[in-house]
Amino acid sequence: MKKTVLGFAAVAMIAGTTAQAQDMPEEVTVGYLNLVNAQLVTKSLGLVQKHMPDVKINYIKVGGGGDMLRAIAADQIDFGGLGNPPTAIGVARGLPIQGTMVLNMLDFVEAMVVRTDAGIKSFADLEGKTLAAPFGSTTHYLLLQALADEGIDPASMKILDLRPNDIALAWSRGDIDAAWFWEPNLDKAVKDGGNIFMTSGIMEKRGYPTWDVGVVMNRFADAYPDYVEKFVAAECEGIDYWISNPAETAQIIATELELTLEDATRMMRGTEMVPCDVQLTAQYIGTSEARGGFVDTLEATTAFLVSQDRLPEAPSREIFETFLQPKYLEAAVSE
Amino acid sequence: MIETLRPISAPPKRTVKISRSLKLSTFSVCLMFAAWIFVTSTGLANKLFLPPPADVWGAFVKASVKGYQGSTLFEHVTVSVARILAGFFLACLVGIPLGILMGVSKDARALLNPFIEFYRPLPPLGLYTLLVMWLGIGEESKLALLFLAGLPGIIISTIQAVESLDPIYERAALALGASKRDLLFHVYLPGAGPTILAGMRISLGFVYTVLVAAEIVAATAGIGWMIWDAAKFLLSDVVIMGLIVLGITGIGLDMILRAIGNALMPWMRKRSR
Repeated sequence: MKKTVLGFAAVAMIAGTTAQAQDMPEEVTVGYLNLVNAQLVTKSLGLVQKHMPDVKINYIKVGGGGDMLRAIAADQIDFGGLGNPPTAIGVARGLPIQGTMVLNMLDFVEAMVVRTDAGIKSFADLEGKTLAAPFGSTTHYLLLQALADEGIDPASMKILDLRPNDIALAWSRGDIDAAWFWEPNLDKAVKDGGNIFMTSGIMEKRGYPTWDVGVVMNRFADAYPDYVEKFVAAECEGIDYWISNPAETAQIIATELELTLEDATRMMRGTEMVPCDVQLTAQYIGTSEARGGFVDTLEATTAFLVSQDRLPEAPSREIFETFLQPKYLEAAVSE
Repeated sequence: MIETLRPISAPPKRTVKISRSLKLSTFSVCLMFAAWIFVTSTGLANKLFLPPPADVWGAFVKASVKGYQGSTLFEHVTVSVARILAGFFLACLVGIPLGILMGVSKDARALLNPFIEFYRPLPPLGLYTLLVMWLGIGEESKLALLFLAGLPGIIISTIQAVESLDPIYERAALALGASKRDLLFHVYLPGAGPTILAGMRISLGFVYTVLVAAEIVAATAGIGWMIWDAAKFLLSDVVIMGLIVLGITGIGLDMILRAIGNALMPWMRKRSR
């Protein structure tokens, strides 16, 4: 018994000293959003582990942006992913995070499903109906944005705050008439007497792109910048795998999310992966010299949230430019 | 024991004692505020997690006048207090008779105890998932959760209250020809009243603890919902303001409960000191 205790102590001491000497984290905790993107590939293939072999990797599944913000505020993760509205909220409220890369561009993987027999043909038909969306998320933002564009008062309908899995549950009970949320739960509603009325891809064409950006805690980035680079490189490898091996990727998604291969393949088409070198162009993150369109989206999103009385004030453009840090991506791409 | 000893020495000292504890309470509250102001004004606390009292006051004024997401603070409080009272009264309505029954009859207790003991330690959120599946996302599931949170406390304290009644009261009443009904209304209820009331007060506290949980799913108003929603947007001033308001309403309801108890059971005033 004594021997084992001593053995443990010795191992701990060695681990402690190596951690000091090489300046590497003992473990890395990745919070990943419960949706369909290449992070599932990276996770399933163990790519982060491959890039940092001696580090313990923990994965935590997070339901949506609101929960991710809480996890960040509570300092429970090292890496996370956020849609543009939660990012705008987090940055405006001064969360200690920086954006490293594009996780995905959202197309019809996020959509508004309406109950077929509810007779909803236009946004005006939503009046008096019960809707659901996870508040503070990309879809809640698009719903309010779409209503604002159509000149419809959100107060003329009942909009409920539900998490994606609760939406699926409420839908199956018939408690709601419409919901704007995402796969894999979206499909359950579509198959249960629903049809797609609007997608996030259509909203992108109307000038409201939504996406998820990879974030890292400042604390981690300051201590282990090369490990942020390794992480980004691993995610880039996952994105490349997604693009060049669609059949294998569909299999991975199907296994990870317990879907049929057919459903997984369709959901994959609803979200766009951006190769890491393309992420450095003006449409996306941009470069260290000149930030790209993501800053514009963050500014527009924040302005909208302020107009909705969801944020007290909008931060300056510089704050968003400082938030986006293309340097890790640049290093990962140049290798 | 203490109860019987107290009255002898209590009356002359009482006023002094109350003012002393009042002073101490005021002191500790002021100390808390001073510490709050100190850590926020010196920058020791991150504003994101602990905003200064002035911000919290600002959030209170704004929510009271302009409202928070479609309802004023008063409306949020009204909705929540209505939910709490409904759940709590339902729990009393079911719990007190059930507790008396279980206190009087060993068979009734044996029959019902397994269920109460089983669900009592279940975490409310786990229970809530099932309630939402059964009852939907509307008021029914919220009320059911608040009801279930309040119920065990009342039942258990009522059982204890009835059990600990001096059997001499019951025998005396029976000797005087009391019916079962008389026993209930003139012996069990008045005798057990103070302990039942204590149980009700604890149970009201339990109902409060699940309010935020109950309002997480598909509420659009309510103080618990406001706290939850504000947390999503990292509005910590609103969160803290909501918690303070929630606490104050809790103290208020508890005081009302005690006042009702004092009015209905004047004999309790001596006992409960």
